[in-house]
Amino acid sequence: MLQLRRTLALLKGETGNQLARTGSSLPFLDSANNSSGLVLQSQSTDVYQNLALEDWIDAHVDLQQRGILLLWRNQPAVVIGRHQNPWSECNLPAMRKMGIALARRRSGGGTVFHDHGNLNLTFFASKKAYDRKRNLKVVTEALRRLRPNLDVRATDRFDILLNGHYKISGTASRLSRKSSYHHCTLLHSADRSALSTVLRPSCPGILSNATPSVPSPVANLIDHAPSLAWEELLEALVQQYNTEFGLSSVFTLVDPSSECVFPGVGNISTELRSWDWTFGRTPKFRVETLLELRDEHLPARCSAQLQMEVKGGQVESCRLDVPAGWLPLWLSRQLSDVLVGERFCPHRAAAAVTAMLRAEKGQFHSRLNNLCEAVLAMMG
Amino acid sequence: MAMRATLRCLSANFSPRLPLLSSAGRDNRAARLRWVSGTRRTFSSCSVLSTALKFTEKHEWVQVEGGIGTVGISSYAQDALGDVVYCGLPEVGQRLEQMDEFGALESVKAASELYSPLTGEVTAINTQLAENPGLVNKDCYAEGWLIKMTIEKPEEVDALMDQAAYDKFIKSLEE
Repeated sequence: MLQLRRTLALLKGETGNQLARTGSSLPFLDSANNSSGLVLQSQSTDVYQNLALEDWIDAHVDLQQRGILLLWRNQPAVVIGRHQNPWSECNLPAMRKMGIALARRRSGGGTVFHDHGNLNLTFFASKKAYDRKRNLKVVTEALRRLRPNLDVRATDRFDILLNGHYKISGTASRLSRKSSYHHCTLLHSADRSALSTVLRPSCPGILSNATPSVPSPVANLIDHAPSLAWEELLEALVQQYNTEFGLSSVFTLVDPSSECVFPGVGNISTELRSWDWTFGRTPKFRVETLLELRDEHLPARCSAQLQMEVKGGQVESCRLDVPAGWLPLWLSRQLSDVLVGERFCPHRAAAAVTAMLRAEKGQFHSRLNNLCEAVLAMMG
Repeated sequence: MAMRATLRCLSANFSPRLPLLSSAGRDNRAARLRWVSGTRRTFSSCSVLSTALKFTEKHEWVQVEGGIGTVGISSYAQDALGDVVYCGLPEVGQRLEQMDEFGALESVKAASELYSPLTGEVTAINTQLAENPGLVNKDCYAEGWLIKMTIEKPEEVDALMDQAAYDKFIKSLEE
């Protein structure tokens, strides 16, 4: 970090003096001359704070004359696109065990895994200047300058592929009233084992019109360029950004949790953390699956069919077809009724079925319990 | 599904080389819509005028009928967006102020926010778009409508652009 600061202090040069003259501690709110750009690096690794910062900049900064590049990375997190279904995109139980957060961003696109080895770049611009191809050129050119032997190319889908095969970067964007942002990931040294563990569905049998991810084989840059250091990469990207856009950028470290610098950003991150946004915004979907039930005492097993409609993350309807010989119909119907109106969430559902399980003390208790567990397991 | 490689943005330097619906094409379609709507109304001699399309600078259209505004996006907008793959729409009953974000259209280009052209309450959303988001591209003035809403402030409708003004506005963006 120290080396980066020293190196990047050189980049500040004259524009650093300009800042002193204007006396502004908020360079991004000052519409300075057009040849100066702005490169921000977030000091936070909290995915919700960083996503909130993006939305804050998009809403509050005048991007008509000048673009901004924001560099950031997060503690392990899965980030789904605006209109995606987390239950079909990622392994929620595994994420809970591993302490990996889930966030839904406001841009479109697919699901990605973030960690300290995955660099995020956000290119803010006016809608007129929105140009993903040009932004990705910043990345590919920077990489080529760093390691001329690396075969990196942007595709029509705005992925960046290494050796024509491994995805090292994915892209998503958002267009708002007057401005735009295009962000992309860049796999430097991410934990690929964690990545492949979490980027799997939680729940089988989901039928949905949510936007799906396009799975791709991935690689880290360090797999193919082992000596490439993180700081070296950042420096090269900043330099290439300046070259591509003809700028001499001011580089600033920012704290996305600062209400002084970014008034109102806390409200944005609160909303992004909320269940209502993360899960409740999931497009309506249907689950159709078979539950495998067993009775350890006999032993015996059977299959039950489950059909559920989930809207706004809540169970709108539930149908459980359990063979009548396994459990009386009225019990499986009662379970369905209890689940309707609850969040599609194993914790909430567990709380809802607890009373019902306590009430059933008879011969069916163990089978009912088994059925409840199967339903909860299905919810991720 | 043609790749619009030269496409850069939703406004301003939009390239006139791209296959936009011609002005004439848009006018004809909008005029047809007005005519069809006009013939259904029986109680007002100004029926055609009151069901004419009005436009916002964000390329949304509003058509008022029986105190309810139907909202969609214009041909210019759907072409700039590219193929719509998902329509994120509000809930029925949601109250919107003019300019409130009420959803987003996701295309290969980006997730583009939708802004409410009027103040009112959502009375219906186009549920066909769930299975067929491409209707927004194929039939943006009719089957590809997005939401219907009440009109709390009729003066907001009056302030929107009529077809002629909107066509002029588009031309000014292309220059």
